[in-house]
Amino acid sequence: MAITRRQLITGIAKAGIPAAVAVTVGTDALQAGEHIPIPNAAVGLLYDASVCIGCKACVAACAEANDTPPDTRSDNLHQAPSDLNELTRNVIKLYKPEDGSAFSFVKRQCMHCLDPACAAGCPFQALHKDQETGIVTWTAEKCIGCRYCTITCPYHIPRFQWSGFNPRVTKCELCSTRLEKGLKPGCTTVCPTGAVIFGPRSVLLLEAKQRIKNNPGRYYQERVYGETDNGGTQALYLSKVPFEKLGLPELGPESVPARTLRWQRRFYQYFALPAVLYGGLVQVIRKSLRGHEEEAHEREKETGLRAQL
Amino acid sequence: MSTATASVERAAGNRWERNVPVYGFPVVNGFFLGLSALVLVAFVLTAYRELTGLGPVSGMNDAYGWGIWKTFNVMVLTALGSGAFAIGIAAWVFRRKRLHSLMRMALLTSFLAYACGLLLLGIDAGRPWNFYWMVFPWKWNMHSPLAEVAICMSIYAMIPLAVENLPPLLERLWYFDSRLRPGVELVEKRLHYFFPWIIAAAYLLPGMHQSSLGALMLLAGERVHPLWQTPWLPVLYLGAASFMSFGCVAGTTMLCCLVWKRAMDMEVLEEAARITSWLVFGWLGLRLVDVLFRGALGTAFHFDRFAGVFWLEVLLITAGGVLLWRSAKSHDPQPMFIGYILSSAGGMIYRFSPTTLAFRPNPQALYFPATVEVLVSLGFISLGVVGFLIAVKRLAILPAPLSEWHDMASYFRFRRPYIRWTGYFKYGHFGEDETPEASGSD
Amino acid sequence: MSTVERETIGTHLRKSGVSRRNFLQLCSKIIVAAPIGLSLTRKATAAQVARMVGKARRPSVIWLHFQDCTGCTETLLRTSAPDVAHLILDVISLDYHETLMAASGAQAEAALKSAIEDNAGKYVLVVEGSIPTRDDGVYMELSGRPAIQVVKEVAAQAAAVIAIGSCASWGGVPSADPNPTGAVGVDSVISGKPIVNLPGCPPNPYNLLAVVLEYVTMGRLPELDQLGRPKFAYDRVIHENCPRRAHFDAGRFAAAFGDEGHRKGWCLYKLGCKGPVTHAACASRHFNEIPGVWPIGTGVPCVGCTEKGVVWQMSTFETVPIHLATPPDTYPPVFSGAGQLKVGAAALVGAITGAVGGAAWVASQRFHSSMDAGVERIATDRAHAEKLKAPAEKSVEKKEV
Repeated sequence: MAITRRQLITGIAKAGIPAAVAVTVGTDALQAGEHIPIPNAAVGLLYDASVCIGCKACVAACAEANDTPPDTRSDNLHQAPSDLNELTRNVIKLYKPEDGSAFSFVKRQCMHCLDPACAAGCPFQALHKDQETGIVTWTAEKCIGCRYCTITCPYHIPRFQWSGFNPRVTKCELCSTRLEKGLKPGCTTVCPTGAVIFGPRSVLLLEAKQRIKNNPGRYYQERVYGETDNGGTQALYLSKVPFEKLGLPELGPESVPARTLRWQRRFYQYFALPAVLYGGLVQVIRKSLRGHEEEAHEREKETGLRAQL
Repeated sequence: MSTATASVERAAGNRWERNVPVYGFPVVNGFFLGLSALVLVAFVLTAYRELTGLGPVSGMNDAYGWGIWKTFNVMVLTALGSGAFAIGIAAWVFRRKRLHSLMRMALLTSFLAYACGLLLLGIDAGRPWNFYWMVFPWKWNMHSPLAEVAICMSIYAMIPLAVENLPPLLERLWYFDSRLRPGVELVEKRLHYFFPWIIAAAYLLPGMHQSSLGALMLLAGERVHPLWQTPWLPVLYLGAASFMSFGCVAGTTMLCCLVWKRAMDMEVLEEAARITSWLVFGWLGLRLVDVLFRGALGTAFHFDRFAGVFWLEVLLITAGGVLLWRSAKSHDPQPMFIGYILSSAGGMIYRFSPTTLAFRPNPQALYFPATVEVLVSLGFISLGVVGFLIAVKRLAILPAPLSEWHDMASYFRFRRPYIRWTGYFKYGHFGEDETPEASGSD
Repeated sequence: MSTVERETIGTHLRKSGVSRRNFLQLCSKIIVAAPIGLSLTRKATAAQVARMVGKARRPSVIWLHFQDCTGCTETLLRTSAPDVAHLILDVISLDYHETLMAASGAQAEAALKSAIEDNAGKYVLVVEGSIPTRDDGVYMELSGRPAIQVVKEVAAQAAAVIAIGSCASWGGVPSADPNPTGAVGVDSVISGKPIVNLPGCPPNPYNLLAVVLEYVTMGRLPELDQLGRPKFAYDRVIHENCPRRAHFDAGRFAAAFGDEGHRKGWCLYKLGCKGPVTHAACASRHFNEIPGVWPIGTGVPCVGCTEKGVVWQMSTFETVPIHLATPPDTYPPVFSGAGQLKVGAAALVGAITGAVGGAAWVASQRFHSSMDAGVERIATDRAHAEKLKAPAEKSVEKKEV
C-alpha cells in the first residue's frame, strides 16, 4: 500500500518531534555538562596588585610592543589614557577609597577567558580563541564592527575605534608576535617589581597559590581571581582589596556564555527543533491554504472580481 | 455580535471583502514631500557617517556600544514590523479567517520595517564590507545570537517576506496590460505551489530571530537591571513582538481608514483587538510571574529611573490591554485605537530597555543619541512611511468593502478617463477598451 | 718632512709636574662624561683609563677658527680649576691654535705649515666656527685665502676631523636667517674624512676630550649617529634625563618668569623649553663641572643650542611637540565616565516624541466622526455601484444573499 506524501511527511514530523525534544533537552549529557577545556599550551599573566607600584612602565611598553602611538589625546603632552581605548591595550588604574583605607593599583587588560563571551557572541568568529595557547585574537578580515563584543565582555575589555572609516577592535593579544620570536609580552618584560609575570597558566596558578600560602592574611579571600571565576581566565589576579573594587566582578564559576546561552544553544542544537517545527508548520499551512483558496475562488465567482490571494 | 439595528447595518455595510488601493489622494503632497526631505537628509548624513566613522555622528561610546540604530530601529521597529509573523500565524495556523483581510497590510508594514531596519543595521556596522561572510555558512558562529539575528533577518526579508509581498505587485501587473497576463499567471501558479514552504519559513524565521533579539542581552548578564534580565528574555521579546505588531498593523489600518475616509470592519478589528488583549495579558502574566519568582520585584519599589521605566511599561501595556478588551466588547474604535497605541508604546519601551534604559555597564557612563543619529533614524523611518504611502496608493493593500472597489474602478473610468493605466480594471492593450469589469465578465 | 717622535701622554704629564691625583680625576671625569658609548671607558675604572691613556702618544691637534665667536675655545679653557685646563692642554699637543698660541702673522702661517708637515696623516683637525660659501667664500679668509680652501687643504692630511660647536657642525649662529654669507658646517664642505660633530653653543669640553682620547688610545672614533654626533653624548634628548621631569609628569609648570612655579623650580616646558627635541647630555652632566650650572638648572628654558632647526629658528617661547610621550604622574579611576547629554539632541527627541504622540491623540479623537462618515460614504458608494451593475448580475447576487 503506497503512502501518500502527506502521510510520509506527517510520519516524519511525528517521529521527529520527540527526537528533536530529546536532542534539545539531552544535549546536556551529550556535552558532558558543558565542560570548558583548558588549552594545552595555555599561557597567561599573573598580576599581583599588592606588589604593583603604579609606575606605568607596562602602559608605555605595551604601546611600543604593539607599534601603537601613545595616547596623548588628554593633554597632548603625556601618554595618559583614562581607560582602555583603540590606542590602549593595557592601562593602570588606581582604586583609592575616600575614607583613606587601603588603596590599590590595578592593571586592566584582556583576561583571555577560557570560555570567552566575546568570542561566543562574535557573528563571524573575528574574535577567536587559539586552540593551543588560548590567546584570544581579533582578525580584521572577519570583523563587521557590530560591537557586540564590547557588550558581552563581562570585563569590558574590547574597545572599538570610533573615528575613521576603517575602525578596528583593540585589546591585549598577549603580544603574540613577540611570543613567536621567543620574547615575553611587553608589559611583563619591563615591570620593575615583577608585579606582572608571564608564563604557562598552570605554573602561574601554582605560583599564585604559593604566594597565598606564604603570606597568610595578605590576599583578599586567600584566592586567585581567574582560577574558576567566569569559568576560568588566563590572566590571574591577586589583590589586597576586594576584586570588585578593582573592576573585576564576582561572576561565579560558570562562564558567561555557558550560564546565559544554555537554552539558546540547546534549542538550536543541530537545528533539530527548528526543522521539526518547520515541517509541522508546512503541514498546517497546506491545509489552511487549500481551504483559503477554495473560499477565494468561490468569492471570485460571486463577485466577478479576480481573487486576491 | 451586535444587537442594535444600526450597528448591524453598519457591520453589514462595512465588511472588508477586498483590498483596494487608495485612490483620489495624490501620492505627492505636503506630508510626502516633508518625509522625502527627511529621507534625503538621512542619506546625506549616512554618507557623512561612512566617511567619519561612528564616533562623531552618534552618542555611542565605549560603555554603550549600541545606539538607537540597533536598539530602536532594529530591535523595536522590527518588532512592530512582525505583523507578517503574528497576524500570519493567527490567520494561517490558527485559522482566524477574518484576519486574512489584514494580511496584505501586515506584509507590507513588515517588509518596510525590516527593509529599513536592515539598512540601518548595515549602516550601524563599523566594518560592513565584511558582511559577505554571511554567504559561507561554515564561517557563521552559530552560538552567537547576533549571527542568528543578522543572518536570519536578512534571509527572512530577502526571501519569504519579499516573496509574500509579490502578489499585490503581480496583481497590478495583471491589470496593467493584458499582454502580461499569461506571464503573470504562470508566475502566480509557481508561487502558489511553493507558498506553504514560503509561508512556513515566514513564521519560523521571525520566531527565531525575534527571540534571538532577546537572547542578545542575555550575554550582558548582570549589567542589565534585574527587572529585565531573565532567562525568559527570548520568549518575552517574542511575545512583545506579537502584540506590538498587532497594534502596528491594526492601528495603522485604522489610521489609514480615518485619513482616507474608508469604512472600518469592526468585526475584523474586534477580533484583532481580542487576540491582542489575550496576548497582552498572557505576556504581562509571564513577565510579572518571572519578576516575582526571581525575587526582583523589590527593586521595582526603589525610587530610581529603573523602577520608573518598569512601571511605565507595565502601566502602558496593561492600560492598552484593558482598553482593547473593552473596545472589542463595546465596538468602539476610539478606545481600540488608543489601546493599540498604548500597548505598542509599552512594548516598545520594553524591548528598548534592556539595551539602553536598563543597561548599566558602568556607574559613570551614560548614553544619549546625538542629533545626527536621531536624524538618520528618523529619516529611515520616514523612508518606510514614504514606501508605505506609495504602495498603499498604487497597490491593492488596504482592505475595504467590495463597493469600494467598484467605486475605485468608476473613479478611474469616469473621473480620470485619461489615466487608463493606473486603474484596476481590465483594459486590453494600451487604450483598447475591453468590456469593463462592472458588467461582470472576468 | 721630519716626523716628531712624540712622547707618551703619561711621560709628558709627569714631566709637566701634573700630579697623578689630578690625572686620575681627569680620567674619572671622562668616565662620567661617557658612561656608555666609548670603548675607552667601557667597564673601566679611573685607574684603568689612566693606564690606557698614559700609554698613548700625545696626539697632535690642529685647531682652526673660521666664523666663530671663540666660545668653544673658551669653554675648553673656562674650566673651574686652572689645573684641568692645563691638563687638557698637556694631554693633547695643541700644535696650532690661533687664540692660544703666541705667534701671529708670518710666524703663525709657518707654524701651521710645519704642524701639518710634521704630523701629516696623524693629526686631528678640530674646526671651530662655520665656513662661508657664498661669493666664493670671501667672508672669512685666513692669510688671504678663503676658509673653504684652507679647510680643504688642512683636512686633506688630517687623520680625523672634529667639528666643535654648532657653527662647525651645521652652521650655527652665522647660518641663522637670512644666512647672508652662506654659512655651512664642516661636513658640507669636507668629504672623505671621518668627521665627528660636537654641536652645542658651546659644547661640553669633555665631549671633545673623550673623542680625542678614544681616538688616540683605541685607534677609532666613537659610534656616531646619523648626524655624525657621538652617541655617548647626543643619543638622548634633554627631556629624558631632565631633573625637572617629575614636575613635567605631575603637570606642574612655570607659567611666567618669576611666578610661584618658576621659583619652586617647576618644569619650564610652557615657557618654551626645547628640551624634548634637543639632543645633548646637559641634563645629566650640567656644565663646566659645577653642579646645577646649566640653563634649566638656573631657571632658563633650554633653547636647543645643539639642534639645527631649533635654536635661532624657533621662537624662544614656542612650545615643542613631545615625540616620546610617557605616562604622567596621575591615575585614572577604576570606572571612568563616558557619554554626555546634548541639549540639542534631547530637544529633538522630545519634539519628535511630542509630535508623534500629539498626532496619535488627535487621530484618536476623530474616530467617532469617521465612523459615521464611513457609513455614509459606504451607502453612497453602494448605491453608485448598484447603478453600474448589469441587471443579470444583480439577480445572481440576490439569489446568493
